[in-house]
Amino acid sequence: MSGHHISSAKFLWSVAISLFTLTFITVAVTWIQIPEPWNVVVAISIAVVKALIVAAFFMNLYWDSKFNVMLFIMSVVFFGLLIGITLLDTMYRTDPIPSF
Amino acid sequence: MATEESKANVKRVQVKRFKPEEYPEKHYLNQETGLWAWLTTVDHKKIGLMYLMSVAFFFFIGGMLALLIRTELLTPARTFMDADVYNQVFTLHGAIMIFFFLIPSVPAALGNFILPLQLGAKDVAFPRLNLASFYIYVIGALFTITAIFTGGVDTGWTFYTPYSATTGGSVMMMTMGVFILGFSSILTGLNFIVTIHKLRSPGITWNRLPLNLWGLYATSIIQILATPVLAITLLLLTMERALGIGIFDPALGGDPVLYQHFFWFYSHPAVYIMIVPGFGIISEVISTFSRKVIFGYWAIALSSLAIAFIGFLVWGHHMFTAGQSSLASMVFSFLTFLVGIPTGIKIFNWLATMYRGSIDMKTPMLYAMVFLFLFTIGGFTGIMLGALSVDVHLHDTYYVVAHFHYVMMGGMVMAFLAGLHYWWPKMFGRMYSEFWAKLSCGLVFIGFNMTFLPQFIMGAQGMPRRYFNYIDQFQSFHQFSTLGAYVMGVAFFIMAGYLFHSLRKGKRAAANPWGSRALEWQTSSPAPLHNFEHTPVIINGPYDYHKPMSEFQLGIATPHNDHHADENVSHTESEKEQV
Amino acid sequence: MSEPSVIEENKSHVLHHFIDSDQQFEASKLGMWVFLVTEILFFGGLFAAYIVYRAWYPDLYLQASEELNTFWGAVNTAVLIGSSLTVAMAIRSAQLNQIKGLITNLYITIGLALTFMVIKYFEYAHKFEIGILPGSYYSYEGIAHEKANIFFSIYYMMTGLHGIHVLIGIGLMIWLVVKAKKNVLHSGYYTPVEITGLYWHLVDVIWIFLFPLLYLID
Repeated sequence: MSGHHISSAKFLWSVAISLFTLTFITVAVTWIQIPEPWNVVVAISIAVVKALIVAAFFMNLYWDSKFNVMLFIMSVVFFGLLIGITLLDTMYRTDPIPSF
Repeated sequence: MATEESKANVKRVQVKRFKPEEYPEKHYLNQETGLWAWLTTVDHKKIGLMYLMSVAFFFFIGGMLALLIRTELLTPARTFMDADVYNQVFTLHGAIMIFFFLIPSVPAALGNFILPLQLGAKDVAFPRLNLASFYIYVIGALFTITAIFTGGVDTGWTFYTPYSATTGGSVMMMTMGVFILGFSSILTGLNFIVTIHKLRSPGITWNRLPLNLWGLYATSIIQILATPVLAITLLLLTMERALGIGIFDPALGGDPVLYQHFFWFYSHPAVYIMIVPGFGIISEVISTFSRKVIFGYWAIALSSLAIAFIGFLVWGHHMFTAGQSSLASMVFSFLTFLVGIPTGIKIFNWLATMYRGSIDMKTPMLYAMVFLFLFTIGGFTGIMLGALSVDVHLHDTYYVVAHFHYVMMGGMVMAFLAGLHYWWPKMFGRMYSEFWAKLSCGLVFIGFNMTFLPQFIMGAQGMPRRYFNYIDQFQSFHQFSTLGAYVMGVAFFIMAGYLFHSLRKGKRAAANPWGSRALEWQTSSPAPLHNFEHTPVIINGPYDYHKPMSEFQLGIATPHNDHHADENVSHTESEKEQV
Repeated sequence: MSEPSVIEENKSHVLHHFIDSDQQFEASKLGMWVFLVTEILFFGGLFAAYIVYRAWYPDLYLQASEELNTFWGAVNTAVLIGSSLTVAMAIRSAQLNQIKGLITNLYITIGLALTFMVIKYFEYAHKFEIGILPGSYYSYEGIAHEKANIFFSIYYMMTGLHGIHVLIGIGLMIWLVVKAKKNVLHSGYYTPVEITGLYWHLVDVIWIFLFPLLYLID
């Protein structure tokens, strides 16, 4: 069929190997003491890179319609909103008694 | 222009006018008949009707529950039911009206029917998934009905923890019922998004998409983003009850306000799931019955998307008094003011559409007028509640109850009725009696205002919601309100009467009784089994009343893939591509 | 003049409301992406609970994470990445009309997925033995924090829900093997493989986040 990207086996294997490598790095990084909160930032950043690699090259978003890419990004954005605004409440509860 | 990969031939196809057949012998209702054909149908029109019957049934049940509530509130103390029963009745009234009537009403019932017709498609993208989503709705409904008969639920439709995690009754059965129902909503939204993206007829560009479909599109986006969060919330609540998970119950170390965050992250956008399709219907009805192009097409289209987006940012305005941080409350209050703006834009655009139009006050238009008036009141009072300092006094009073009934019933139900009366001829090929329809509309309007206007006053004076008992000063308000509820009940019975009557004895409908330019009216009434016997071709916008009707009936004759394989593509010539 | 533009294709899979195979394929792919959006938001709720409680009780998370076996968690991560590779290879086989390759790759994927579940089973079994159970059944004394049950409730919800999705994925892939053996799938129609692959990759992505968040809190 026209317009369907077919990846070579070599390419798929190299994607997998990069993911294995990043997994190893994720674990290795915990052997170094990184101060809070940067240890979380590093761990999540590596996870994000891995997720993007899977999304782009295993799920073929790299060659896919821009709308599907946008759907994926939108879901992450809304997830961010859920967490971000909830944390505005849970992290900032300082009033022992309601101020009204 | 060239498409690289194939040796493309440019086919010239003949576009001709396909006038819809009047009073067709065969249509979708009398082809593929019999109970089994209906239960296994993948035809979006039949599925839409099955949803319509279901939501009508649940509206009736929810309405009866409302009358029970109002009757109990005739006297300040016990009238005829105990407090426990009263709690169960209002819980059920809310849960049924919201989850089993409002959420599916326009998208699943009217939307399923109309969307492919307005796109010129033969069906939605995933017809079998559509049928599955109906059965998922039915299963969710069965769980809920079981919950009613096996102990009931008295938590309020919001299932706040820790009460919902610890109270007796069939909370898990009901939360599972709603959980299952959520998937029905998600699958409908999914189907609509893919259909609108992939199955548009030639010529339907995004700037020619009917506003009804922009509304359904925005609604579908909300459905797929918000409903999963409700699903996980209900799952967590169920696990809280079953296993004592402990993230919402302070006794187990959890935080009840966190439950409210998760719950309202869905339930606020849910109210936009309920109303935005109604906005779409109002655009169609006002334009058709003003015989005028809609004012500010892009403003209305984009405002639907804006509401969808901003609607996700305001959920904490349900939690101003819950123990949320002041910072969050202030942020939510500010964002809540923003969400009124796109809606306001729509209201002004609709009024501008009517201005200098040729108004034909048929029943759908009458409902649209009722909508404009009642929804505006509801919307304003919502903004008033969004003001943090005001809400501290009005939260959990009848002011809130009046507000949401004005938007949900005065807004959404009126829009739904407008749509029902507008598309009734397309669905059933019959016209109803204008006299009885208008009478019923008038009674609904009067009854509605009688019921809910006093509730604003009561609430501002301090009458709390969900209360079984109240102090004497509110009795006259309550009694007037109850009287109004019965007037509405009568109005709806009259409505059921003339609608059912029209099915047998109503005048047969023309293909386009309202003279609309929209695509669904360019095929016969009732609609043919495959919607159109040709592939429609669109060259004008959907509200171009200044163009002749013939320009809206263009199409290409195409063979179907499976059926009618003996038809030929009629093309006059084919040429090799010039690169 | 016109030349035959495509090889005579098996069109039996095209449904009547679609114009052609491509439109149907693109529609199905879009539909699956929309569904994946709902899955992301579904799990998102659990991640939100995780984040809220971690922000409140960082010590609890530190201590509790030590009860989770980093080695087996890493192994499971590698297993799932491997299964993503094999499902991508399965799609490639289908695209090249290599049905035997398709079936083989599907079998390997199923095998890896089952491996994941087996490791998970042992992890859970070990925890149950020492009293780390969800919710009010929690009875482990080894963590000096009053909210320890909450961490593990979140752990069980997240990994449990993920595990259910793995099981569903295994079921879907068995269904694909059945279809492939019946010669329903070929290079002109491999949509079910494509969309199952998308689902499976998301299951992998979710674990990619679960692993560091649960196992690697140092």
